[in-house]
Amino acid sequence: MPIGGFVVNAQPEFVNEVAGELSDIDDVEVYGFDEKGNIVAVIDSESSTIMEAQVKKIEGLDSVLTVGVAYLHAEDEVEKIENGELVIDNPFQNRKKH
Amino acid sequence: MSVTRRDFIKRSAALTAASYVGMNLPIGQHNVAQAVDADKWVRGTCRLCGAGCRLEMGVKNGRPVALRGVPKARTNYGYLCMKGMLFYKIMQHPDRLVKPLYREKKNQPFREVSWDQALDIAAKGFADSVKKFGSDSTAYYGSGQCQTEETYIFQKVMRGGLQTNNVEGNPRLCMASAVGGYLTSFGADEPIGGYDNIERSYCIFIIGSNMAEAHPVIFRRVMRRKLDNPDKVKIINADPRISPTSRIADMHMQFRPGTDLALMNAMAYVILEEKLYNQKFLDDYCVFRVGKDKKQVNMAAFKESLEKYTPEKAARTCGGNITAEDIRTAARWFAKSQGTLSMWCMGINQRKQGVWANNLIHNLHILTGQLCKPGADSLSMTGQPNACGGVREGGGLCHILPGHRLVKKEKLRNQVEDAWGIPRGRIPPKPGYHTMAMFQAVNEKKIRAIWINCTSPAQSLPNVTPYRKGLQSDDVFVVCTDIFPTKTTECANLILPTAFHFEKTGVYGCTERRSQITPKAVDAPGEAMPEVWIVREWALKLAKELNDPVIAKCVEPFLGKEPDCELPEAVWDEYTQKVTKGRDNDLRGATYEVLKSMDDGVQWPAPTKEFALTGGTVMKFVRGSDPMAETLAKDDKPYQFYGPAHADKKLWVWLRPYVGADEEPDAEYPLYLSTGRIIDHWHTTSMTGRVPELLRANPYSYVEINPKDAARMGVKPNDMVEIESRRGRVEMPAKVVEGPIEGMVFAYWHDMHEDRMINKVCKDAYDPGSKEPEFKICACRVRRISGPRALKPYITTLNG
Repeated sequence: MPIGGFVVNAQPEFVNEVAGELSDIDDVEVYGFDEKGNIVAVIDSESSTIMEAQVKKIEGLDSVLTVGVAYLHAEDEVEKIENGELVIDNPFQNRKKH
Repeated sequence: MSVTRRDFIKRSAALTAASYVGMNLPIGQHNVAQAVDADKWVRGTCRLCGAGCRLEMGVKNGRPVALRGVPKARTNYGYLCMKGMLFYKIMQHPDRLVKPLYREKKNQPFREVSWDQALDIAAKGFADSVKKFGSDSTAYYGSGQCQTEETYIFQKVMRGGLQTNNVEGNPRLCMASAVGGYLTSFGADEPIGGYDNIERSYCIFIIGSNMAEAHPVIFRRVMRRKLDNPDKVKIINADPRISPTSRIADMHMQFRPGTDLALMNAMAYVILEEKLYNQKFLDDYCVFRVGKDKKQVNMAAFKESLEKYTPEKAARTCGGNITAEDIRTAARWFAKSQGTLSMWCMGINQRKQGVWANNLIHNLHILTGQLCKPGADSLSMTGQPNACGGVREGGGLCHILPGHRLVKKEKLRNQVEDAWGIPRGRIPPKPGYHTMAMFQAVNEKKIRAIWINCTSPAQSLPNVTPYRKGLQSDDVFVVCTDIFPTKTTECANLILPTAFHFEKTGVYGCTERRSQITPKAVDAPGEAMPEVWIVREWALKLAKELNDPVIAKCVEPFLGKEPDCELPEAVWDEYTQKVTKGRDNDLRGATYEVLKSMDDGVQWPAPTKEFALTGGTVMKFVRGSDPMAETLAKDDKPYQFYGPAHADKKLWVWLRPYVGADEEPDAEYPLYLSTGRIIDHWHTTSMTGRVPELLRANPYSYVEINPKDAARMGVKPNDMVEIESRRGRVEMPAKVVEGPIEGMVFAYWHDMHEDRMINKVCKDAYDPGSKEPEFKICACRVRRISGPRALKPYITTLNG
């Protein structure tokens, strides 16, 4: 269950609107924003796969210019991989030669 | 995990992010530092692109558990991109190579062998080739992803031990034209300034770079500069394709592929016509030159050479999407701003006229004096994390020795031979094969043993199909060192598993002359070993096979050192203290001790520890910033262009005419094809393709087609299309988008699948100076073959 800290950069004139849109996305919590268009958000998701999907959603919002990652904690996921509770999702398992 | 601890971690994540933008959050900071109970945080550099972002890996019980940016690092100020943040996942990937593998014939399956057997096989393979076909039948092909210590020790054994200059690397495919441009315009390789200028610039000219996807963290700094100063800072984005980078531009100049030489000559025309040049800067520091014999001419001759590049004519040449007034406006913004910064990448370098295109960017800076002052620089962005530090500086190309020395100069060869303690004359005077010639020589069986380290030419070469032929032949002994199977390990006899980033210690040098260390933080899996150990042990066996003590002498200073820390440090010490001494990339002050103490490493020149501890040289050639501008000063002027390539110690403005691409569209192949990188993937996807989150975001390549072209061809979004050139064909889905200029298609190049590997279509023509191939432009035709089709992603396995 990874936790990531992000700075989302929105066009300054739309920062309020974008902060609202972020809050509507599952697992995303907005901690603050400023007049320059910086939005501090945390994503606390079930897996890094879900986190990546949420980041893609954010990147796809109108008025979002960049999404920067500042921090990622993934200890739980690493533990699960090591304990065999989580198998790294490998889309190539059981593949045939192309 | 308890709720309390989880909340702590979330607050820690939020506060870390907030600290980067100076935001105060209404939550207490008490005890946040303890929220993540990692045993240790190890500071290093991101493994992927050339930006040089610094990060810290949190390690608990010997495994990576967290990553965070380094806020004080002057490269990224704490920010990272998602692909950089997720690279830890591949460290534990089940596809990691963990045992040496061997097969005699390439149609046989691999079998596991011991390290001792593997190194015997590698030594015998190379020794047999030397005995039967001579030293030049052997070759090393490395990478801008190898650490500097690795490139340095490999090339030392090849040149000083095996006596061949067949030492090359994949930076030939991405940066060689930038090297040629810097040497011919400024007299010295690598940029004068660095990222520091972004926050001081008032005009940023981005050409041939989609930095929003290729260098997202650096793009963030450019974006911030613009958004914080919307009225003062102008951004010009010049590119045949509208990309995410264009979103922050005041002006997008969309030109027909290859016509940027005309565009930049037209900007120079305006600068002269409107007297926007800096006469004093020109008088003090510059000369004008033309032709292969570098004949010096005067400014009137330069002006005359530009007469055919009036903005009106150039606008027509560029394809009609740019007006003459756009060109005039861009030239005025460029010349008149308090500080103009140009940034470019593969769109300029991967061209048959790559060196000339680089020269024309530098011309604009020299003419206007937009150099050596705050905010002004001509900055080539690097594609790989250590193309600059390892390959350009460490002697990783066939014509250069470590410390920016040319192979062909006896005095410089002797300096290196003396530093290594080997007999003079040991390094041969003739440069080796450049990349395209090297793989042609493999095809022609002139090369019989090749060591390919940390790169995959069987996917990354242009017009790749014919160049695989030799690698696949049983007449050529192929050794690969890597962490994962690739299209190239499919051609190997011997695969040696290597330690990955943070599993060994070494230095990367990024875009801005900055060397940064990444120490070992966790153990490598299985029997994977650092390359420096592999080379040392191989060289000792090779010395016995060839009964040549000089080969052993090449690794003698490194004997007895443990491989994770002591050995790379000994290699780095020899390189910096003995070989960079007195050269323009003097790194004597940047010892491991100094580098470990720095948040973000050292910019050379840095001749002393005291100076290195300040961070080194922010602006090269400027007195007060660059210590060598004092020690090598030839007069009392504030700027001293002491670079080794210009005896006159001047900057050179070049007369370079517009010449188009090697292959222009015609009736049979009516479209331009260009290729590039997508944000989630890096190069051949041997790493990012194994991070499921990144792969799922972009599971396969696709081609962007302008809506007008798509309508003409009857192509709808997601239809499958065939892209065909005179060299090959691929099939991929179409994305219909206002991106590429009409008449051009743009395909992503990361896909490993044989049906979608766009490098089969690209042309292998190369720049006559830099020998860098023209990946960015060739002629093709596109045909709809079906509606949307379900496609599967593909990553190669050990046996293909």
